[in-house]
Amino acid sequence: MFEPKEPQKKLKYEELRIYTDEELNNYTEEELKEFKCKHPIPDVEDLEKGPWPSFVADAKREALHRRKLPDDRLLIGKYVVEDTLGQLQLSFDHGETHWKHGGIVGVFGYGGGVIGRYSDVPEKFPDIAHFHTLRVNQPASKFYDTEYLRTLCDLWEFRGSGMFNFHGSTGDIIFLGTTTEQLEPVFYELTHVLQQDLGGSGSNLRTPSCCVGKARCEWSCIDTQDMCYELTHYYQDELHRPAFPYKFKFKFDGCPNCCVASIARADMSFIGTWKDDIRIDQEAVQAYINGEIPPNGGAFKGRDWGKFDIYKEVINLCPTKCMWMEDGKLMIDNKECTRCMHCINVMPQALRPGKDTGVSILFGAKAPILEGAQMSVLTIPFMKCEPPYDNIKEIVEKTWDWWMEEGKNRERLGELIQRYGLPKFLEVLELPPMPQIVKEPRSNPYIFWKEEDVPGGWQRDIKDYRSRHKR
Amino acid sequence: MEEIKKAILEFAEKTGKTKFYFKDMEKAVHKVMPDVKARMIKKAATELINEGKLIYFSTGSTTMYGLKGRGQTEDH
Repeated sequence: MFEPKEPQKKLKYEELRIYTDEELNNYTEEELKEFKCKHPIPDVEDLEKGPWPSFVADAKREALHRRKLPDDRLLIGKYVVEDTLGQLQLSFDHGETHWKHGGIVGVFGYGGGVIGRYSDVPEKFPDIAHFHTLRVNQPASKFYDTEYLRTLCDLWEFRGSGMFNFHGSTGDIIFLGTTTEQLEPVFYELTHVLQQDLGGSGSNLRTPSCCVGKARCEWSCIDTQDMCYELTHYYQDELHRPAFPYKFKFKFDGCPNCCVASIARADMSFIGTWKDDIRIDQEAVQAYINGEIPPNGGAFKGRDWGKFDIYKEVINLCPTKCMWMEDGKLMIDNKECTRCMHCINVMPQALRPGKDTGVSILFGAKAPILEGAQMSVLTIPFMKCEPPYDNIKEIVEKTWDWWMEEGKNRERLGELIQRYGLPKFLEVLELPPMPQIVKEPRSNPYIFWKEEDVPGGWQRDIKDYRSRHKR
Repeated sequence: MEEIKKAILEFAEKTGKTKFYFKDMEKAVHKVMPDVKARMIKKAATELINEGKLIYFSTGSTTMYGLKGRGQTEDH
C-alpha cells in the first residue's frame, strides 16, 4: 500500500485562486477575431492554417487576455506573449534564433530546474528580455485534478508569462518565461503551498517519469508510480545538485509495451516483466476465434477487417514462433517468449502476463538530434522489484560511481558503455554475462573469456602464434 | 571538509576559466588530497554554493561551477 513520505493536503482552488472569474473570462470571441498582435507576424500566423491545433491560436488568446488585465494584476510584462510571437517572426525573417540560452539564474541551493533564457534583441522585445524556463516535477503518471491545474495556471499568469508546455519530453510541467526576480517567489509558492518540487535539468538526475502503472493498467508488472516516487525522493541530492558528467534519466515502464518509451530515452530503463508463464484463458481464446470478443480491446472496431484469424493476427506474428494451436487450444512455449506483448495486446481477455513479476533493467539510451536514437541495452533480464528497492539502488549507485569516475565531460552512460564495451560494464555491476543479453545467442554465441575466469587458465605463446600467422 | 573547500577555492581562483566542470574541480582536489571521494567533493562544493562563494552555471543541458563575481552576472 502506497504511503506518502509527508502528509498530503488537498489543494482547493477557491482558497488559492488569484484571479476572479470575470478576470479569467475577460474577452469575447468577437474581440479575439479582431485581435492584432502588437508586432506584424505574417509567417507565425501562417501556422494557424490547416486542420491541426496551433500554439499560435492559443498564444493569441493568452495575449488578448493579458492585454485586458489591469497592470497591477500581472507581475511581469503585459506584452510577454506578443513579444514572444514577434521575436519568432524575426527569427523566421532572419533564419536564426534570437534566444540566448543558459546562465547563472536558479533558485537558492538548487543547481537545476531553472534554465536561463534571454532575448538578444531586448530593445525590440522588452517584455522578453528575461524569459527563464522552470521545470516542475510532474506528479507520478501525470495524475492531477483541475483544482491543481487551475492553481498552477493562476500562479503562472501572475508571476510568469501564463504559457506552459504540458508536458516537456522528460515529463515535467514546463513554465515558459519569467524574469529573474520572480524565480524565488514562484519556487516558494510551489514548494510551500502547492507541495510541488522543481524537476531536474543540467548535469543532474533528470525528473524520473513513469507510465500509469498499476493505477490504471492491468498489464503493469511493477508499481511504477511507487518506484518513481521512492527513487525521486531517495535521490533528491542527485536531482538538485549537479555533479554528474552530463544528464542522467530514469524511466519506469510497467510492461514491455513501454508506454513512456524508457527503452528509447532513458540512461537506465526499468521495464516490468514476468518470469513464469503467460496466463491463458482457453474459453476466452475461443470467444476471440468465434468473433464474440473484439480483438485489441475493440481499438480497431471502426472498420470491417473481416473475421478474426488467430493465425494471421497472432500466431504467425509471434517473433519467436513460440505459439501454436493443438486440439483447439492455444499453446505457448514460454521459454522462447521474448515478452513482445503482441499476443497479449490482441487478446487481452484471453492472455495475461505471468504472476512472478519483476523488472528488466536496460542501460544507455539517448535521443540525440543529429545522430538518431540509440536504444538501451538489456543488461539485467530479471530482478525482483519491491519496496524499498534496495537491490535496485545498489545497481544505480554502482553505475553512477563508474560513470562519474570514467565518464568524460558531456558523455552519456550509453557512450561510456560503447567506449569500454559491455563486458567491462558487466564487470562494474559484478554480473555474469547471460544469454538474454546477447542479441543473437543462437547465431553468435561468442563470449570472450579472461584467463582468470577459466579453471586452470591457459598458456599461450603469442610470439609462437605470430611466427605462423602474420598480422 | 574545510580542506576540500580550500582546495576547490584555490583551483577556482587559479584557473583562467570563468566556469569549469565538476570533473576539473575533482581532479584539482585529487592533486592535493588523492583519497577524497567524489561524494565528499560534491558536499564541499554544495556548501560553497550555499555560502555564496561558488555559483552554478547551467546551459540547460550541462551544469558547470564558477567563482562568484567572476565572469557573468545574474543579469546577463
